[in-house]
Parts: sequence; structure tokens; C-alpha cells
Amino acid sequence: MWKTILRRVLIMIPELIVLSVLVFLLAKAMPGDPFTGSINPKADPAQIHHLMKINGLYDPWYQQYWNWVVHLFHGDLGMSYEYQEPVMDLIKQRGANTLWLAIFTMLLTYFIALPLGIYAGRHEGKWQDTVVRVYTYVTMSIPFFVVLVIGIWIFGYGLNIFPTSGSVSSTASGLGGTILSRLGHIILPGLLGALFGTVNVVQYLRSEVIDAKHSDYVRTARSKGVPMKDIYKHHIFRNSLLPIAAFAGYSITGLLGGSIFTEMVFSYPGMGLLFLNAINYRDYTVITALVLLYGFLNLLGTLLSDIILSVVDPRVRIE
Amino acid sequence: MSKRKWATAGAVLLSAFALAACGKSGSSDKSAAPESNVKLPSSYSAKGSASGNNSTLKLAEVNDAPFKGITLSVLQDNAEDADVYAPGGAEGLFNTDKNYKIVDGGLANQKLNRKDNTATITINKKAKWSDGKPVIAKDVEYAYEVLANKNTTSQQYSADFNRIKGMEAYHAGKAKTISGITYPDGQNGKVVKIQFSKLSPAMSYAGNSFIWGSVVPYHHIKNISIAKLASSDAVRKNPVFVGPYKLKSQVQGESTTWVPNQYYYGPKPKIKSITIQVVSTSNVTAAFKAKKYDFALGSLAGSQYPDIKKLKSYTIVGSPALSYGYLGFNLGHFDTKTGKNVMDKNAKMGNKNLRKAMAYALDLNSAYKKMYHGMSWQANTLLPPVFKKYWDKSNPGFKYNMKKAKSLLDKAGYKKKGKWRVQPNGKKLTIYFGAMSSNSAREAIYQYSLQQWHKLGLNVKMATGKPMEMNSFYSTIQAPKQNKIDVFSAAWSTSSEPTPTHLYGEDAPFNMGHFVSKKNTELMNNMNNEKAWNTNYRVKQFKAWQKYMNEEAAYIPDDFNYSFTPVNHRVKNYSTSPDDSFMWSKLQLTANSPK
Repeated sequence: MWKTILRRVLIMIPELIVLSVLVFLLAKAMPGDPFTGSINPKADPAQIHHLMKINGLYDPWYQQYWNWVVHLFHGDLGMSYEYQEPVMDLIKQRGANTLWLAIFTMLLTYFIALPLGIYAGRHEGKWQDTVVRVYTYVTMSIPFFVVLVIGIWIFGYGLNIFPTSGSVSSTASGLGGTILSRLGHIILPGLLGALFGTVNVVQYLRSEVIDAKHSDYVRTARSKGVPMKDIYKHHIFRNSLLPIAAFAGYSITGLLGGSIFTEMVFSYPGMGLLFLNAINYRDYTVITALVLLYGFLNLLGTLLSDIILSVVDPRVRIE
Repeated sequence: MSKRKWATAGAVLLSAFALAACGKSGSSDKSAAPESNVKLPSSYSAKGSASGNNSTLKLAEVNDAPFKGITLSVLQDNAEDADVYAPGGAEGLFNTDKNYKIVDGGLANQKLNRKDNTATITINKKAKWSDGKPVIAKDVEYAYEVLANKNTTSQQYSADFNRIKGMEAYHAGKAKTISGITYPDGQNGKVVKIQFSKLSPAMSYAGNSFIWGSVVPYHHIKNISIAKLASSDAVRKNPVFVGPYKLKSQVQGESTTWVPNQYYYGPKPKIKSITIQVVSTSNVTAAFKAKKYDFALGSLAGSQYPDIKKLKSYTIVGSPALSYGYLGFNLGHFDTKTGKNVMDKNAKMGNKNLRKAMAYALDLNSAYKKMYHGMSWQANTLLPPVFKKYWDKSNPGFKYNMKKAKSLLDKAGYKKKGKWRVQPNGKKLTIYFGAMSSNSAREAIYQYSLQQWHKLGLNVKMATGKPMEMNSFYSTIQAPKQNKIDVFSAAWSTSSEPTPTHLYGEDAPFNMGHFVSKKNTELMNNMNNEKAWNTNYRVKQFKAWQKYMNEEAAYIPDDFNYSFTPVNHRVKNYSTSPDDSFMWSKLQLTANSPK
């Protein structure tokens, strides 16, 4: 298995190189430049050309690409034109915020969705099942930004229970205070994200439980007189988790993606808005860095999923 | 998204959800310019004693993205940073009067000597940075070094700075210092003398492009290379300020917290603490309803006005914004060899009457009233009314008159042939309209314009079938020569000095319709010639230029707008007037939390 993993990792290298060239070319092919529109009309438009020049944006693409690769290997992703900060620092700041929120949301989602999925599967066709299914369909069909706006309106502004803006209070001090304040800021968006993001897990789990319920080994166990509780615990639950485990790799690497809606409504500085604005404002260095990062995470996610699957399912062997 | 400070503020700042019609129709007399049907006060002051000064003043910065965190105004390129660091005074040098004319009494005084073409800047003796160090002559000079340095990231350099002796050489990297800037009482003194090749009357106004209006803390940043200044901790994490408040703490991209600056030279700041927090446009109204904030920095969207208006215990304060929208026509090209705009004789939009007809066919006054509830209204000239003296109130602009529009076209020979009108030479006429994608209210106005032009008999189509993304739009019309867009809708934010040469001059690349005429050049030159030191003469030139531009109709004034915010009834001494230079230190509170 280790050999396979190593091979997969090695294949990633040419994949990433191709991706980086593509991203680099596509980013440059977009109309516009990082400076147009932000320049003071009294300033000299020659200054735009000057800035383009000192930033090397007039160089041929292969030269720009080469410079970028050289810097990359020195751990330097370049400066953001938009924020005038090293891209690395930006990703660290925003990435940390996004991770906090995403991990919290993911844990909550599983916490809510796993019992619901099993419960619905166990009570297949009964009213309990209907309730769970209606819940998942309703939450799935409401656009998430509507949920966010209503959520912040009720719990943030109306009842005044949760903070409504930012990732941490400006008055928070000390390590404990900061962590508490951060937690306070992610509870509402995290809870909304989890409550309204359960549909996939619940539905997968439900159908897997139903499948497992009718499988031979469960029938055998039942005929042996094993109590239902134990059958669920030892046989059905474990087997039903397989497809979800297969997704886990993707979910872990998807944590850094960020959510544009959440970040916008809660003024929460995360990766989603960073990416969106980088595209809007032609912040080339940020675009290339982020696409490459996401590309890498995707490849890693696939690999992780395969590994996880092979660990939890003895039938699957990576050779 | 309000990010782009200069090129798109008018069009993009006004983000919106609602298309709901307000239904109010303001009364306006027939001769004068269209005006907003809403009159907003430019200041608010709560009554009662200032018993809340020991609490926190809570401000909202309305924006859909985190702010960037560049504290030095010479390096900023956006309005958000300027807003969230405003209590620090923006390193501003000069106080101004109502018309943005520089007056004595600020951080420094300015004296222009027309005999020897010098400007002398004398710093207030009491002026200190928030770390207790005095503001010195070098602080004034170093700002020029930062903005003109060969490796600077600042976008503020203007060709007008070349009038400073030695500036060109420094900007090109050929000289280490700017020879025209000297210190009569030494670098650590309080006086700076700037030698110009020639003074301009524009120099008497803040925001002009000859004299930079802010200082930089030389002692604090001298060891950092200018190229790395914007990303340095001295600018981002531990900045110093000259204003009434100093930064206590900040959460990058989210909020800033301020406390009084004990070294401030002006009136003592009264409020114990100020916080400024980024709030997204989608929930700013709810935030004010929940009384989370005392007032907003930046402006709210006009479409939100009906809801904001209903807020109890808030008064809406506003003044005309330093921006305007316009329709431009493609009349030629930019000759990159000579660096000049050239009008093409056979340009499709070359006929003045065609352009005028298109202007008269739009009932922009009603359209804006409906979409923006009086927070935007039809513009009558290419100068926003915030310049009270210079704006020509008496110019009627292009008041809706479909009859006139049709007869203009008939007379000019654009006869109907089938469904559409054709060119005087009998050839088909298809006009391509370029506009930036924006909020629904703005895009409704695009659609309305198309519909009116169709009524007029002109075959006008969206240039790419739909509104364009901002970058594509500007790269199309900024190309030296283009024939994809014949008429375009855009907007300018202006500085507080109104000379329009940079936007409409013969050698201005921002003159994207490429309109050039001798008279235009002459009128714009007159605004800053020797006689223009006389304000009355200067005002006359500005008004004559506005009139002339409407006669030529190469650029059609589109909309003016209010910059407004609700102000809570516990706030004393809030003002938007440019002559209220000490507003931040005068602010007081009459209660411990927003009422």
C-alpha cells in the first residue's frame, strides 16, 4: 500500500505543474489588470504602466511563470496587488478563520446528521422517517443565503444573542478571552451551516441502513437472536458508514474552501471572499496561489478518501 | 462592492436589492436643474449633556469585503481603509472651508508665493505624532518621496507633481532627493518650502494634484524600504497617527478600536473609546434597527433609504457625494505616439444632435427617483453639486423631452426607414451601449435607457448582449482605439479640487470618448490661468465649461447622489461639512449606548 501511496503522490507533481501553467495562463487571459479602476483619476495613468512594469506584468508569460516558480520554491507566493501583503500571510489569516468555522460546522453536521440518518433508516416508511426526510428536503431547498440573512436577523439583531459581524470581538483580550470570543462568533453561522447542510449525510446513511437491514448477515444475526440494539451497533452502523467514510477525505480538504455567503453576511474574513475578490480585481498572485492550493487539496482529498476506504473496508485493497 | 474608489463609485457604490417604487414625485420648477426631492441636513447634534462620553462610540463601515489595513493615506487606494482609520486623522495637513479651499488652523498652514513660485508649509508648533514625537518638516517631504519613488506601490503620482523642481529626476530614479523641496529651519524644523516651475490656482484647494495633503511619520518608517512600506508592521500593525484618536487595537480586516491621542494638537477628543466594524450591505439596515451602531462611515445604498428613513431615534444626515455618473460617446481614438486624443471625422456618434437626442429621450429624473428614492437624481452638468460655488445650478441639463429628441434627429437627417432610423447617408445605424454589471436598480436604469432609445427609433443594443464585468468594460473603453462600444455608462469619483482636465483633456487617457476641441482646452486652461487666482473669474470659467460640455453633448451628465448615514440621537456634533475639520474631536455622546 505504501508503494501505491508514494506513486500517487509522485503523479501529483506533473498534475500540479500542468495545473499551475493552465491557471497562470487563464488568469493572465482575463481582461483587465490589478490597477485599473482603483487609480485616482488625478494620478498619472502612466503610473499604471509603471506599476505594471515594476511588477513584471508586461514580461512574456513564460518569464513571469518562471519567476513565479522560482519564488514558489523559496516559499514566496508573491505579494497581493490588492492587499499589498504577502499572499502567504493573507492565506494564513483567512485560512485560520475559515478552518475554525469549517471544522466547527463539520463536527456539528455529523453530530446532527449521523443519528438522524440511522434513526430514519431504522424507522423506514414510518412517520419518524417522514419527519426526517421532510426536514432534509426543506433545509436543502431553501437557498443558504436566505437562511443566513434570516438567522442573523432573528438571533443576531432581534434577540441579540450572537455577534453579527467579524470573527472575533475587537475588545477580546488574553488567550482565553480570544478563544471564547472566536467561538462566540462561529456558533451562529456554524449552527446554521450544520442544520441546513445535513441532507447528504442523512440520505446516504439512511439508504445504507435500509440496504444493510435487508442484507443476509443481518437476517442471520437476527435469526441467531442477537438483540436489535446490538445488530445496529455492530453490524449495520459500521457498514453503513462506508460511503460517508469515502467522502471524508474530500470533506477534510474541502474545509479550506470557505463559504462566500456566510463570509459576506457575517462580514467574516475567510477564504471564499478572498478568492472571489481576487478574481474580481485581477489579483493574479492570489488567484494562482489559491487555485493551486485547491488543486493540491483535491488531489490529496482523493488519495485520503482511498486510503480511508481501504482502512475501514477490508474488501478494498490498494495495490 | 464598493472597492473601486475612483472609477466606479457612482455606479457600484449604490448596491441594492429592492426595485420597489417609491411613488413620490417631487415638485420642481421648469427652468432650473433637476434636484433631489429629499433634502438632508448636513449635520446633527443631540441635545442634552454629554453624559455618555465615557462609553464607546460604535461605527459601521458598510462594505462586503474585509478592509485591507493600510493606514498611511499616501499608500491607500481605497475608501475602506480611509474610513476605518479616519479617527486617526488621515495624516491630513490642511483645514478647509466649505468649498475645500485650504485655510489656516490645521496641522499646517500653507502660503503660496506667486512671485517666486513657491509654496511654504508651516507645521503647527504643537503638532505631535501619537507616540509623542513632534511632526517635523521631513515628515512633509518624505510623503513626496514615498509617492514618487521609483519602486513605490503608491498609485498617487500625478504628472502635475513634475512642476516641483527636481521631481522628475527623483521619480525617474536619477536623483536621491527632490531638490525643489527644502527646509529653511532644518529637516527637524517646522517649515517646508516647495519650489514650483509655476503655481496653479488649483493649489489653493485640498485634493489638488500639485501639493500632497498628508504627512508620513518619517521617524517611524525611515528604516523600511519604500517598496515594502505597505506590507510593513509599522504601517499595518503599530501605526502612529496625528489625529485626535490613536489606534488601541484592531482585528485585521474586521474592526478598529480607538482611544484619545493625548498628544493631539487640536481640541481635546471627548469620547473614551471608538470602535469601527465592517458590516455587510445586506444587513446594515437590520443592524441600525437593532441600534448596534451610532452612524456609518462610507455611504449606504440609495435603495435602502426608505427603510433607513423609518428608523426611530436616528436622523439621516447627508451631503452630495464627490462623484457623478455620465454617459460617454465614442468619438475617436487615443494616439499613443503623440499621447493625444483625436476625434475621428466620421465617427458613428460624431453628430452632436444624435447625442443630444439620446440625452433628451431619457427621463432620468423620474427613473432615479423611482429607483433610488431621492438619494440619486438626474445630473445637470459634469460637476457634482458638492462644489457649491462651481456647480452651475441654473443649467437645466437634459430634461426629458421626447418631442425635442425626435425633432433633433429628424432635422439632422436620421430618418426612419422601417423600424429603425438610419444614418443621414442612408446606411443602417446600430448603436452599441456599454455598461458595467451592477445592482438591480442600476441595471433597471440601463434597460430603461434602451427602451427609451428604441422609442426614439434608434437601434441601440447592449454591446455584449448584457452588462459587462468591470474589468472587461474598462479594458474595452480604455483601449486607444475601439469600435465595440459607441455609448457607455460610467461614473467618476472626484477629488475635492474640481479641475476636470485629467478626465476631459486632450492628453488625458481617461477621456475615453476622445472628445477634443479648442474651446474645451481653452476653457479648462482658463480654470487655472493667471486670472483664475480671482475666484469669481475661476467660477465663471467652470460654469462656462459646464455649459459648453452640455452644448457639445460629448459626455452627458447622468446622476448625482447623496452620501448619507443615519446618526443616532445620542451623538453630538456630527457633521459632513468639509469646513468641520475638527469633527472627530468635537464628537460627544449624551447616553451610554445608542438610543
